[in-house]
Amino acid sequence: MALRLLWASRVASHLRISVAQRGFASAVLKDLKYADSHEWVKIEGNKATFGITDHAQDHLGDVVYVELPELGHSVSQGKSFGAVESVKATSDINSPVSGTVVEVNKELTESPGLVNSSPYEQGWIVKVELSDAGEAEKLMDSDKYSKFCEEEDAKH
Amino acid sequence: MRSPRTLEVWRLGTVNYLKSLKIQDKLVSERKAHQIPDTLLSLQHPPTYTLGKRRTDHNLLITQSELTKIGAELHYTQRGGDITFHGPHQAILYPIISLRSIGFGARNYVETLERSMIEFASMYGVKARAGNKCETGVWVGDRKIGAIGVRISSGITCHGLAFNIDPDLKYFEHIVPCGIADKEVTSLRRETDALLPSEEVIHKQLITCLAKAFSYDDVVWKEDPSVILDTKDV
Repeated sequence: MALRLLWASRVASHLRISVAQRGFASAVLKDLKYADSHEWVKIEGNKATFGITDHAQDHLGDVVYVELPELGHSVSQGKSFGAVESVKATSDINSPVSGTVVEVNKELTESPGLVNSSPYEQGWIVKVELSDAGEAEKLMDSDKYSKFCEEEDAKH
Repeated sequence: MRSPRTLEVWRLGTVNYLKSLKIQDKLVSERKAHQIPDTLLSLQHPPTYTLGKRRTDHNLLITQSELTKIGAELHYTQRGGDITFHGPHQAILYPIISLRSIGFGARNYVETLERSMIEFASMYGVKARAGNKCETGVWVGDRKIGAIGVRISSGITCHGLAFNIDPDLKYFEHIVPCGIADKEVTSLRRETDALLPSEEVIHKQLITCLAKAFSYDDVVWKEDPSVILDTKDV
């Protein structure tokens, strides 16, 4: 828990905090784009790195397993490319962009908990070469995503 | 004012495991396409061992041929969780529901499944509790009475929970249940002296506890299981 607070304060300068109904502050980073299935993506030229958001990892519980795609695998925006397991539930993760997998985060095999403790940094999941840079337009920016999370959490 | 939420319940009797997977696949697609409301399957399986996505078959303690000798099947699945056994007199519920419409993630969903089973057990004076960290499921003391293994795909659930009413617990001796070596498995029959009503009544009670835990406004009991069981897709 202390480590988590340390991480949160370290990225404080980039942080936009959205306060969900039950008072849990779900971190949303300004420079990323977001899918409505709670994946984030960082686009740099024709390469993209993505993972799942702080909101997603909190709602999943402790991640015990991450199923990573193969290198060279094609991913499509909005389609499943892998899964995580937590609390005896496997949850599919969807790709926020389309492209080809060029790198996967092998650290997650030994330390799947990185997805929980550092969802935007050490817990990144896949790097791809984009096949359609324009697709990023369909994603949410940090403001829209914060609002989206608040609305979702208000449903129960 | 949110719109009323309905749960459609199909009580299917004993269903072969692979058949139940095909039924669930079809329902998940239909739920994703908004063709059906949240749906619940209530059923039992013939003796069946299943493994989750992590394929932890080191927790199966007998060979395939010994398995066949005792009249059981083995299946690998995409659900979360470790190895488990399903068999007669174990109540199984497979909710095919949209978590996005209630803003639930895996954790909330699984905790609500646990609460459903705990509430049900309390009807018979059995004090059950949710598992500690890494021990998802429902326990009476150190004895496991209810197991959970779930898959969530685009926010739609499948697989679900298994509650031991009065299964033959000897089948659990052939596995390390749920990968937890030093804990026993138990059943409602073992934990209560209360007179147990018919299994039909028991299943209805468990379903009602689940519907209440998930705050459904309306439960629709589908009368004709052959609609689901006999379609040519399955």
